[in-house]
Amino acid sequence: MVLYYVCITWIVHRSGYEHTESLFYAEKLKLLFEAKQNQLVILGTTFPSMVFLSNLIFIPLGYLFAPVAASILVMSILYYFILRNHLSTKLPMNIYVPMVTALFMFHPGMVFAAVSGRSIAMVLLFFYLVYRSFFNYYRSQTTFYLSLSSIYLACLIFSNYNFIWLLIAFFPFIVLVSLEGIKVSKDQPPVLQYHEALNNRSLRRKLANRTAAIYIIIFLLPLGAIYLFRTLNQAHAGNPEYFLSSQYSNWAITGLKAIDNLLVDAKGTILTKQTQIVYHFFILLLTPLFIVALVLYKGKIYELMTILSPFILLSVLLIANRFYLSVEYLLIFLMLAMLILIYYAGKTDHSVRRMRVMIFIGIILSNIGGFYYFSKTNDVEEKDFYEALLKGGAFKEDRALSEQKQIAQFIQDVTDGGGKVMIDDAAAYGIVAHLESLNNILLPFQPSFVTVVENPTLSVNYMCIAKRENRLHNFTVLNAYNIEQMRRRIGLNLLVMFETPNWVLYKISN
Amino acid sequence: MVSAGMFSEEKLRDIASIADEYNYAFIKAALNFGFLTRKEYVAFLEKENYPLIDVRNEEIDEYLLEQCDLHHMNSFLYIPLRRDGSGTLLVAAADPLDEKLIAGLTVKFNCRIRMLGASDLDITWLAHTKRGIFFVKEAVFSLMRRDPESSGIITFTDGQLAVIFGLTILFFVALGFSFINTSVVTNLFLSLTFLFAILFKLYLALKGSMSELHDSVTKDEIRAVDDSTLPVYTILLPVYKEDKLIRKLIWNLRSLDYPRGKLDVKLLIEEDDDKTLNAVRALDFPANFEVIVVPYHMPKTKPKACNYGIYFCRGKYLTIYDAEDIPDSDQLKKVVVLFRKLPDEFIVLQGALNYFNKNENLLTRMFTLEYSYWFDYMLTGLQSLDVPIPLGGTSNHFKLDKLVELGAWDPFNVTEDADLGVRVFEKLYKVGVVNSTTLEEANNEPFNWIRQRSRWIKGYMQTFLVHMRNPRKLIRRIGWRGFFGFNFFIGGTAVTFLLYPVLLLFFIVFIIFDIKAVRALFPDWVLYISIFNFIAGNVLMVYINMLAVFKRRYYELILFAAVNPVYWLMHSIAAYKGLWQLIYKPFYWEKTNHGLTKVSHSSTAATVAGNT
Repeated sequence: MVLYYVCITWIVHRSGYEHTESLFYAEKLKLLFEAKQNQLVILGTTFPSMVFLSNLIFIPLGYLFAPVAASILVMSILYYFILRNHLSTKLPMNIYVPMVTALFMFHPGMVFAAVSGRSIAMVLLFFYLVYRSFFNYYRSQTTFYLSLSSIYLACLIFSNYNFIWLLIAFFPFIVLVSLEGIKVSKDQPPVLQYHEALNNRSLRRKLANRTAAIYIIIFLLPLGAIYLFRTLNQAHAGNPEYFLSSQYSNWAITGLKAIDNLLVDAKGTILTKQTQIVYHFFILLLTPLFIVALVLYKGKIYELMTILSPFILLSVLLIANRFYLSVEYLLIFLMLAMLILIYYAGKTDHSVRRMRVMIFIGIILSNIGGFYYFSKTNDVEEKDFYEALLKGGAFKEDRALSEQKQIAQFIQDVTDGGGKVMIDDAAAYGIVAHLESLNNILLPFQPSFVTVVENPTLSVNYMCIAKRENRLHNFTVLNAYNIEQMRRRIGLNLLVMFETPNWVLYKISN
Repeated sequence: MVSAGMFSEEKLRDIASIADEYNYAFIKAALNFGFLTRKEYVAFLEKENYPLIDVRNEEIDEYLLEQCDLHHMNSFLYIPLRRDGSGTLLVAAADPLDEKLIAGLTVKFNCRIRMLGASDLDITWLAHTKRGIFFVKEAVFSLMRRDPESSGIITFTDGQLAVIFGLTILFFVALGFSFINTSVVTNLFLSLTFLFAILFKLYLALKGSMSELHDSVTKDEIRAVDDSTLPVYTILLPVYKEDKLIRKLIWNLRSLDYPRGKLDVKLLIEEDDDKTLNAVRALDFPANFEVIVVPYHMPKTKPKACNYGIYFCRGKYLTIYDAEDIPDSDQLKKVVVLFRKLPDEFIVLQGALNYFNKNENLLTRMFTLEYSYWFDYMLTGLQSLDVPIPLGGTSNHFKLDKLVELGAWDPFNVTEDADLGVRVFEKLYKVGVVNSTTLEEANNEPFNWIRQRSRWIKGYMQTFLVHMRNPRKLIRRIGWRGFFGFNFFIGGTAVTFLLYPVLLLFFIVFIIFDIKAVRALFPDWVLYISIFNFIAGNVLMVYINMLAVFKRRYYELILFAAVNPVYWLMHSIAAYKGLWQLIYKPFYWEKTNHGLTKVSHSSTAATVAGNT
């Protein structure tokens, strides 16, 4: 699987495809090891931390490749974990192994998660592990699995902060799970069991204590970890929410696609479906494997509620929906489908043949659903990936250079010649990531940046500016608007040295 | 006795069978295996014109006494007193009608014997105090003589003192050269040690929690046990002034599911502990234990008493309980089954300990949280990592022959159990964990708690010093993994408690007062680590405690885990007290008062039985 993903990576990257999240991590890695200042802030506040920390392992492979290598490895580990779960499933191996392999190799979302260098791989891994721990807990009723779910949940939140809302999604089923440890008539429906438990003082107290205990055990580690991270951010960056709100530490600030911008672009149709209830059904349509899994499911009511809890997460995220929900919110349902099939499919009365047919159809349709999603996605970078993937034959042609790479090469020539360049990596992290060296580069983490930005003529020769067309124009101080202000204020004389659709490198000629 | 209606024929046969198996006098078997009360027996003797004499105040001819073997006197409950004017030997015996004994003594002393009735307890007391000196000296000095490296009689060796003083001097010299840098490095070192110790505990807890996935002994395996194949099992009950607990003790022993005749229960009473002896004497129902009186000898510690008791044990396996302990009824059978299943190298099995008075007050709740995580997770975690396991104070089950081979407990170590656990590992044997619980009485009084805890922490320090006399040799014996496990679990425990208030104080001073001098000790990266330590360390400890009580289904205790940082401060007080005592009174045994609880254990026991 690793080799397969490496090949795909090679193919899509030859056509110039790079994901900005991957570039963001690459740039932070570069700053961490090559800039001699502020390393603690970079290491201690770059978010999501699980993803960033996993990238550290792959530094020897190069800053640019490290995030991709990490996501490839994580997806391969996930593949391995799922295959290893054959011990827990009653599905025949000749159904199980092809099913898993087909999904990991041919679903464009899974391939995207592996080769993009995004946090999706980590999200999928920990999402899978959280729910697997729950199902294991239901089977064994041991604290071990409950504590594992808590640890994995903390990791999941530190891979994508939006998943903190799962804490709300977990509430309903935990109330029911707590009934399991109470001595009530188990052959009755849950409602009657509840009735029995609530009408007995001792059982009622035990039920309340047990419910609270499960909540606390699941939530303490994630919440404790967040509290710790906030305190560290407060101590070192002066703002407890720095990891969430600063474009210097969190790619999501600049990387998530705001709905307003997407509506202006008017490309793709998925965004229009991202409303309450509609999107839930739409996801079901795109993941028929999940429907198949539900058909083959046979379990208790709280297990079903556990399975459905990600829909609550979706609903919560859609309530204040300002950003496009990218492909990971689709893929988590495939993970869940796998888990249901692993733990519950063999329990039903369906014949092996019927199961094989159903799962086969589910996989085919889910993969088609994946292609449909990418063809209609509103996320520009997902779209770019899809196009690069479809242009698979392009690897025979010369390697295409991305926009950031082109401008980085030019800047490199300038700095090698002794010119000093000012860049704001709030938006230009992709360019910084591509630079071979940080010599003669002035970046915001350097103390002199604030002074220089007031009057660049004294200290630098060049400025890398985000044009008005640049999606990240408003996230950086070095943008077209501010340059105009500088021109007026201090009579800045600028010469265009190099220009791309989103960036321009000016020479200061004062 | 049969004609007097004291026993049925069937009971008589049972007693005779036990007496034969143990080579005891009939009366000893009857009195110590729950067939006969002492009051009934005294009444019977008086009826037979054998009023009891006060044997402890009788004149005794030491020469005659020296001719008798302690074990024989102890088994047949007699003691030769003196010859009267006619040359007749006066012998005090618990059963003056015992014809076999009379015949034997007649042959031995080659004279006429006149039997006098005396209390079996007084005879035992007298026999042990007069003839037990050799054994008690063995109990104290045997380990020191056979294996001096493992004995704690020397607290600090010369080498250790040199290292300690050398490091201290080095530290102060470094402070003199560069105060700030030395302080920062020390701060960092302490922080990292603290963090590593806590992470190690979390790892152990997770490893240990995996043990929930399977029972080492299942209920079916217990049901399949054939009672006739069970070996004799010795239970040692070391007590000191526990007169109020004797009745409880008998009831707890009765609830054990093990054939009565195969339970060799020894109540170890100190020579000067008349209170407990009289409590046994005053029982109005049959006792199911044998009293062994431990002659006076310093140090007056529990391990010394247990070592002494070993000389009189008959079992294949041996365990220790405290007087107030309530073991699971099937614990002994579980141990036998598990020993049969495990490889021969496993010579000790540790049962879990917990408390029956857990909800009595905040302290007992915290104690329960701590014990739950310690015995349910830590020990199983250590076992799975194959590193030394410090045994708990009670409910540790030994193969008796191996225990003797190891030299038994170190009477100079105040946590002799933890020390023995490490020694077992050092001698290339293994300690296992059995899935059975013994309920104890949690200390419910803060000063009593600190006394007890200071002894435990002092004992950990002692154990650490004993086994670290030659670190290279220790590594050779137990490997690097065992060595690190030992250092972080035995040494680290004491160090963590000693460090905790220091780090806390620094941190609070830094956060609240922002004193410049303290700020210098916290460069950015040290501050980062310190904050991480402080929050992560406390949260993880709270979390581990929560996990363990959740497993026990003590849901109502979960929130009390949040008080753990305060509980740790109490540990720190005890740790400093222990350190002080280690230097000034290394062998002093801080006695913990038992029987302070007002909680009845019966309801708790029922709850636990339901849960396990």
